Amino acid sequence: MPSASGPIITVQGVSKAFGGIQAVDDCTFDVAPRLITGLIGPNGAGKTTIFNLITGFLRPDRGSVRFKGEELVGLPPHEVERRGVARTFQHLRLWNKMTVLDNVLLGCQSPVGENALTLFLRPAAVRAQEARDRARALEVLEFFGLRHQAHELAEDLAYPEQKLLSMARIFATDAEVLLLDEPTSGFDADSLRRVIPIVRRLVEHGKTVLLIEHNMELISQLSDEVVFLHQGHVLARGAPATITRDPALTEIYFGI
Amino acid sequence: MDLLLQLLATGLVVGSIYALCAVGWGLIYGTTLHFHVAHGAVFSLAAYYAWAGQQLLGLPLIVAVVLAILAAALSGLLIDLLLYQQLERRGAIRTTVFISSLGLLIVVENVLAMVFTPDPLRMDIGVLHDAVQLGPVFLTWLHVVAVALAVAGYLALMAFLKRSRAGQAIRAVSSSPEMARTVGIDLGRVHLLTYALGSAIAAPAGIIVAMDVGAEPYRGTTFVLLASVGVIMGGIGSIPGAMVGGVFLGLLENLGVWQIPSEWQSAISFGVFLVFIVVRPRGFFGRRIQSAEI
Amino acid sequence: MTAYLAHYLVMVGIYSVLALSLNLLVGYVGIFSLAHAAIYGVGAYASALVALHLGLGFWGGLVVAAVAGACAAALVAIPSLRVAGDYYIVASFGLQVVLLTVFMNWTDVTNGHAGLPGIPRPRVLGWVVDTPFEYVALALALAALTYAICHRLTHSAFGRVLQAIRDDEIAAAAMGKNVVLNKIVIATISSALGALAGSLYAHYITYINPSSFALHESIFIMSLVILGGSDRLAGPIVGAFILLAVPEALKFLAIPDTVAAPMRQVLYGALLIIFMFVRPEGILGRARPKALEPPPVTSHAIG
Repeated sequence: MPSASGPIITVQGVSKAFGGIQAVDDCTFDVAPRLITGLIGPNGAGKTTIFNLITGFLRPDRGSVRFKGEELVGLPPHEVERRGVARTFQHLRLWNKMTVLDNVLLGCQSPVGENALTLFLRPAAVRAQEARDRARALEVLEFFGLRHQAHELAEDLAYPEQKLLSMARIFATDAEVLLLDEPTSGFDADSLRRVIPIVRRLVEHGKTVLLIEHNMELISQLSDEVVFLHQGHVLARGAPATITRDPALTEIYFGI
Repeated sequence: MDLLLQLLATGLVVGSIYALCAVGWGLIYGTTLHFHVAHGAVFSLAAYYAWAGQQLLGLPLIVAVVLAILAAALSGLLIDLLLYQQLERRGAIRTTVFISSLGLLIVVENVLAMVFTPDPLRMDIGVLHDAVQLGPVFLTWLHVVAVALAVAGYLALMAFLKRSRAGQAIRAVSSSPEMARTVGIDLGRVHLLTYALGSAIAAPAGIIVAMDVGAEPYRGTTFVLLASVGVIMGGIGSIPGAMVGGVFLGLLENLGVWQIPSEWQSAISFGVFLVFIVVRPRGFFGRRIQSAEI
Repeated sequence: MTAYLAHYLVMVGIYSVLALSLNLLVGYVGIFSLAHAAIYGVGAYASALVALHLGLGFWGGLVVAAVAGACAAALVAIPSLRVAGDYYIVASFGLQVVLLTVFMNWTDVTNGHAGLPGIPRPRVLGWVVDTPFEYVALALALAALTYAICHRLTHSAFGRVLQAIRDDEIAAAAMGKNVVLNKIVIATISSALGALAGSLYAHYITYINPSSFALHESIFIMSLVILGGSDRLAGPIVGAFILLAVPEALKFLAIPDTVAAPMRQVLYGALLIIFMFVRPEGILGRARPKALEPPPVTSHAIG
């Protein structure tokens, strides 16, 4: 049920080619606020590329991406995140040699502690900020069920927990829109049961979630809306039930 | 006007030397992504090989030069085989390879300095020292040979890369090592070939400079720096770009002398380089630079 | 003998500052600079010149040195770090060459090859430093200060960001960190500190000339960092202690000077290579060194 206040992210006519390949082709879709939107499609459909294009890791050849009306195209990735759109990576990209807590702490913007000047000139403020950030990071870890592993190295976590950590990281950034790239790939049934309520609670906290997912069950359970991507182009969008049961789309998806 | 033409001509000559160096370095860098500063060592070694061939072994000049080029090609190949590939086998990353390359450059140049002293070692180049006059411009035959070699070397390399199987393998690897591997290309062998080729094409540069002003142990360091500047200005991954970049540097240095004292030549080139990477980081012919693929 | 030991300790102090500051760049962020000797020289010349011509005291000289070093680095860091680490290597290489050219040829100011003699002794808090022991105290104090600054930088939120950039700068960017700005900041701080070493050197030897600040010196400082270990803060100090003993050891072997200089270089170069095989993380280091970023061109078939 789209909210009345209009889409929070608008992707409009976005195209991107690599060498001879058109990875994304005149792609247009909206993401409604405070909902979970699923981005699905067969392999190579361009889903991760769309994430890269939205978050500034790639620049579209054509088209625009707006966040709350503001143009994101042309901004470098750190600026996109600062505006409020954060993403995870399919291959995690955790800081493996750092602790779980440090990984999340890096999500907190610490304007005083991360600035070399204030670091030396305002030690009291830096200390206070660090204490606040730690407390917050621990809360975030609690939310994701990782509190007890706060001081372990990221690389020592089990795979599903590493995926949760990558989500926890971006949750700590306070970004309004969270782009999750295959957040549950490789999860067993237990882990899935653990993660689904967490993703739902993200929305309850006012976040908007756009997730790339291959697991159809999960899409049906989690998403409020689904966007079907094929060969870089949006083929269909709508309620999960409609999309996942459409025989033509299923054919394309499974390449039958 | 005559002065300008003269400076242009010398600029082209110097540019040809830089171009040979840059093309060799750029080929290696573009294909292997190694920041091969030891290319400077090969440059220096080529000069000493040629000198030794003529002055120690008594070989005729042309034979000494050809053998020196072959020896330099082998040297470059061995650097990859015995140093870089060995490190990579042990899980080394690019930084490690770079540091080892830097270490090797220092070792080679200083061993040469210890054995041969830092003083320039001159060669007999006979008739090549004679002047030739092209209109108002005075050059030596050696200078003419330099330009001719640069053009010939460039054309030969381009033909090789475009037409031969081995050349296509090199291009495949430089485009995407993963893809090349999946189609069955042996990356190790391609790297060795690249090093041999890159060193072979840069060797004449070192040899010609030695024939002109004598072989010196530390010159390679300056030349590899200029080669990398030339490659960046020309655009990484572009052989024509490296050629243009090298020639551009040579012209810049020499035309700069017109107005600015010659001691400041390197400062000018470097200043231009800095402006360049602000204005057009991808260089003349490089592809548009964007964030790494994730 | 004690004068000799005092000299060794002063040089250890000075080189500790150089190595610690270079390590901020190389070890903590993973950016390679070949210009550290030139920055060292900028600090030395800046400090010497303001002392000789403006009568500026020690502290003033330090400040001027730090600012000069920071500006020189920023000049190069700002354009090249926007692109990629490899560009910075070339740019720093170039900076080294250019600054040395300036030292050698701007004779009106630097007196060229002849150098600047007669640099006054430092006046610290009223008294003049001129005994070996006092210099040792000053050098070690400066080294301790540098260590403290580096420690504060690395053990903080800022240090966390640096480590994140070193280990995965794409993830860092995705988490809102301005990678380029942080790199520029650290390059600037690293150079400001390196220039301080130059200031101390100038007031210690009381004579400077360009040959002390050439590329081989940059290599030497790099060796200190590599040998000592780029991942631990104390590593570069250990490197300084060890490598500074080498020339003295060579002197004992009565090797003629003309051969001794290149021989030392061969040793440093060989050490670099050997360490890359045996222990890339250095004597004290822990983690694996960070990967150099190649320029992020997507695909570029040669041709």
